[in-house]
This record gives sequence, C-alpha cells and structure tokens, in this order.
Amino acid sequence: MLANLKRLRYWLLAWIALSLLSGVFIARNELARQQDTFDTNARIVHRLLSQRVVQHDAILATLALLHGGNTADRPEQRLPALYAQIASAMHRGPNEMWPTQALTDAEAESQRLKRAVLAEVDLQTGTYQMVLAGQPDNYALTISLRNMVPWTEWPMAAETSPVQVRLQLAQASYLVQPGHAFTTGDAGWTFEARKVLAADSQPFEVVSQMHLGWSSLPWGWMLFSAGCVALVLVRGRMLVLQRAQQRREEERQRVGQLTRLNTLGELAAGMAHEINQPLTAILANTQAASRMLDDVEPDLPAARNAMQMAVQQARRASDVVGRLRRTVERPGSGATLQGVNLHNACRHALYLLEPELHRSQCNTTLTMDCVPFDVLADPVALEQIIHNLLTNALQAMEQVPPAARALQLVLTCSPTTGELHVLDTGPGIPPDALARVFEPFFSTREGGLGLGLSLCETLAVGMGARLSAANRPTQGAEFTLQIPLANTTAA
Amino acid sequence: MTTPLSPLIHLIDDDEAVRNSLALLIGTVGLRVQPWTDPQTFLQTFDRESIGAIVLDVRMPGISGLTVLDTLVQQKVDQPVIMLTGHGTIEMCRRAFKAGATEFLEKPVDDERLLEALQAAVRQHVQSRQRNQADRQTRTRYAQLSEREREVLGLIVGGLTNKEIGRALNVSPRTIETHRANLFAKLEIDALAQLVRQYAALVDEDSRT
Repeated sequence: MLANLKRLRYWLLAWIALSLLSGVFIARNELARQQDTFDTNARIVHRLLSQRVVQHDAILATLALLHGGNTADRPEQRLPALYAQIASAMHRGPNEMWPTQALTDAEAESQRLKRAVLAEVDLQTGTYQMVLAGQPDNYALTISLRNMVPWTEWPMAAETSPVQVRLQLAQASYLVQPGHAFTTGDAGWTFEARKVLAADSQPFEVVSQMHLGWSSLPWGWMLFSAGCVALVLVRGRMLVLQRAQQRREEERQRVGQLTRLNTLGELAAGMAHEINQPLTAILANTQAASRMLDDVEPDLPAARNAMQMAVQQARRASDVVGRLRRTVERPGSGATLQGVNLHNACRHALYLLEPELHRSQCNTTLTMDCVPFDVLADPVALEQIIHNLLTNALQAMEQVPPAARALQLVLTCSPTTGELHVLDTGPGIPPDALARVFEPFFSTREGGLGLGLSLCETLAVGMGARLSAANRPTQGAEFTLQIPLANTTAA
Repeated sequence: MTTPLSPLIHLIDDDEAVRNSLALLIGTVGLRVQPWTDPQTFLQTFDRESIGAIVLDVRMPGISGLTVLDTLVQQKVDQPVIMLTGHGTIEMCRRAFKAGATEFLEKPVDDERLLEALQAAVRQHVQSRQRNQADRQTRTRYAQLSEREREVLGLIVGGLTNKEIGRALNVSPRTIETHRANLFAKLEIDALAQLVRQYAALVDEDSRT
C-alpha cells in the first residue's frame, strides 16, 4: 500500500495541484458572476427606490400648484387611496398650525431651501414625514416605507434572495429586504453597494449587502472538475504504463531471441567439441597407420590396431550425432492433425507480427478466393510455418524501399487441398539458389542461419502438407503451402 | 625404435582416444611420447630437464589449457608449448600466443602440421638449451679472471691496442701483454675475434653493474 503510494506520489501531487487550480478557477469565476449579479441588482434597487422617492417630491409639488387659493376641496385626502406608500397627507392653511414641532421646523427649513425636506423620520417603524412649504398652503406627507417598495418590479425574490437591502439615514436604518440567512460574521466574501437616493429631499442611503460563505462556493462543480482531472490522469497513467509495458515486451522479445541464439551457439559449440574429439582421433589414427604402412618394414599389427581405433572413434562420432538428434527431436512431432481454419490461422499470424509489419511500413493484404475452408493440420506447426514464411518475406523486403513493399497472403483451394500463397516484393530468389532454399544451413541472407525455411518444410512434410518456392514473374518471391482439406480427408 | 635420449613430448589431453591416437602418430616419427590425463599431475611430476616439447589441449575439465600454459611460463619451464583446440576463436589464439605458446593448432589436426610443428619446437628447444649451456660456460670462465684482467679485457673489447691500454692503466705494454696471455688462457680463447664475440656482452653487463 505504502509502496503503491510512493510510486503514485507524482501522479497524486499532479492531481492535487491540477484539482486546486481548476477549483480556484471555478470558484473565482463563480464569485465574479455573483458579484456581477449583485452589482446589477443593487443598481436596479437604487433606481427603483429613487423613482419612488422622486415621485413624492412630484406629488408635493403638484399639490402646492393645485391649491394656489382657498379651496374647500381637499384633494390631498384622496392621496392615500391612490398611493399605497402614502399613509396620510396633511395640509396647513395660512392660519393653521402643524400638529408637531418637527413639522413646523421642517417647514421653515423647506422655506429656506425651496424644496421638500424630511420632518420626522422613524426608520424603526418604517415611516417618515416630509414637508414642502408653499404660499399659502403647506403640505406634508407621511410615507410608509413598507408599502413604498415596488415588489412587482423587484429584481430579486424577496424571501429567498441572500441580498440584504437597507435604507439608512444617520445611524438608523430600515430593513427593506432581510436577506436569506444573512450573516457577516463568518469567513467568506462580502459584497456591498452604497448609494444615496437620487432625491435631495429624501437623502436615504441604499445599502445592499451580500455575504458568500465558503459553503456557497460551487463545491459540486469543483469536485466534478477534480474528478475529471483524476480521470484524465488515470487515463494518462494507463497510457504511460501501456507504453512501458510495450517497451518491456519488445525488450523481452529481443532478449529471448538473443538467448535462443546463444543457446544455439552453445549447442553448436558443444556439438563441435563432441564431434571434434573422435574426428581428431580418427585422423590421427589413420594417418599414423598410413605412416606405419609406408615404413620399409611395416609394423602391420600396430597399423591394424590404429585402424581399429579409428573405426571405434567413427562409431563414437556417429553415436554423438544420433544422441543429438534424439535430444532435439520435437516431442510433439506426429501430433494429431485436426481441422484448422487457414484464414483464421493467417489472421492470427498477422496479428502476432503486427509490430514488425508496422515497422517495415509494408502494405499487407489477406485475400480469400474461395469459400471458407478448414485444412487438416497440426495447429502449432501451421502457425510456425506461416509465421516463418511471413518473417522471411519481411526480411526479404528489407532490401527494397518501404514504398515498394507489399505482402500478399492469398488463400485458394482445389477440391482436395487448401493453399496459402505468400507473395512479397523483395528481390526474389536467385535462380541457382531456388533448388536449395529448403536445405538446412542454406541462406542467401547475410548472417542468416538458414534454418527457418528448412524447419518450415520439415514441419509441412510432417503434417502431410507441401511447401514450394518460386519467383514471381514481375518481382519478388512466392511461397506456396498446400495442405489437405479437412473434410475431404475425413470423408 | 626410440632411444632414451630422443626428445620427449608431453601430451596432455583428457580424452583417451585422442591421447592414444596422437601418441601413436607422434611415435611414428621417432619421438618419445609421455601421455598425461590430468594437467595437475603433469605440472607436479613431469621432467623439466628433458629435451622436447609439450602438447596441450585447451579444453579440459577442471583446469583450462591456457591456465596450464600460464603456470608453465611462470615456472620458467623452457619446453616449447603447442596448443590444441577443438574450436579456436581468434581471442583464444591471441591469448595463447601472448602467454607464450609456440604454436596454436585446431582439431582435428593434420599429421603434417602437427609433426612439423613438433619437430620445429624440438629443434628450437635443443638450440636454446645449447645456447644456455654455452652462456653458462662463458660466465664460469669470466668469473675466474682477476680484477685487473677484467679491466684489460674491457679495454681490449673496446678496441684499444696494448700500448694504448698501458697508457690508460699507467703500466708498461709489457705487463699488458702478460695479462693478455693469461686472459686468453683462462678463457680458453685462441683468436681476438672470438674473444670479442663471446665476451663483449658480458663485459658490457659487468661494467654497467
């Protein structure tokens, strides 16, 4: 487990770093989006509330204009019915008094500033009075903030929006919208917008605030992105492992080949020694005998003895060869023959040779000129033959440029045999070598052992098949493997 | 057939058939053969004083022929060594010659090549023994000379006349002539040329030490 972690630590570190990066990116994006929405909403809130308070100014101004003289009609009394936010409207004629000192003071102030001013403001209950001094009539309005908010045009859902909106004047404030689960205490991000309403008469400050805690970050998306990063990394690691595996496989094959060659070399050396010893003795004995016989008075018994020793040694050499044959004799030779689909066998051989085919950039085709058929063969031997024939073709084509390399496998059949033709575009077989290609230790290739085709032929003959070689009329060689069909033999 | 004084060939090969047949072949030219199965026994017991040669198989169980060759060279054995091998590589050949082998032959070996190589080796050994013996004699005689005589000999070899030697050693030419006569007698030399040929190297060696 620990070892695993150690091996994976770079991948884990990469995962953590990339996940953090993508998380931060997503969070920043989300925060920016929230801020944007918040700013827009705050602007809309300010505009809507400004519009309302400006309306109050307009109403007061209109009242002042309407009642220039003494009119018994009291139109201001109808205002609360028209405007929900207007709780009441008051009028002071020339000889009347305001009910409160605050209104009196406000009127004086209004007189001086030539505009409406606030009188009594009770943000606790959400009401305020404003007065406009006129000649001769003075009017005052009592505004209920609760009803002033135009909820129908409100940009947020008042109940669920996390934004808190307040109207503030001096130290007091009225809560327009409390904000859902609003706190400012814990860690996180706080957005705030403050702007005074666009009416000099009612200088309330609109304060919008929103708090985003850690919990409001888009954790779902962040986790999702971490998951995606993990998936990508796992895939990457798989690719890396796959590549390493592939390289190891190639290396293993190369080593295997070397080992086989070394084993072969060792075998050859051992065999050479085993045969060389009797050969040495035979040569020395016969030559000694020959010399003795050349003497003026030949020592015949000694010469005869030498010749007998030579005979013994010749037998010894022959035993060595026999023993060697028995040792390397294929244990499975004479294995039971069975029906084998030749097409599948070819496909399998091509599949096994895919890396080599790919490396040689040779154009490979497998075509079948008849209905699918089974041949009677030893599957292992058949596979070995096809593999060797293909390898042989590929090696032959190493001598021509990649563009001119084409390997064709053509399957045909006669009433009794199935045939595999392996055609290449290599240099072909020299005419004088054509008759000898299946001889052991005969090779036209530099450094070739000359055992591949020889083995193919032995295997083919062993299972009742025939292997022949020919040159193609244009270029390259053609090897034909004829194998008895399975069903005809069985019948 | 063979006399005890004819050269003795030591034949070391672990394969009995090879050993017997080669012994038979070598015997046909009148050389004595002593076959050895085990290289260790050979190294411990063989007669180092005999005139002859050693035929050594490279591939033997236990101890390689090349190792035996190294040991022989280390022990200053002067018999020439002919190596035999079943499958000689160039590297093995190079090693054998570097270690001091006289000849390197591949099995199966042709009689002409083996016998010629053996005869050449024996000739070479006889010559080197003779040279060594002559050398030993020369040294013994030289050791009998007095200090003065050696001085005179050095100057004679250097090409000086009696007069010049007398001047160089600050004695009369007469005295030099006496030394010279003694010297010739002790070294058993008749002619000046022979004296120079035999003793120049020794004088040179003596003056350097």
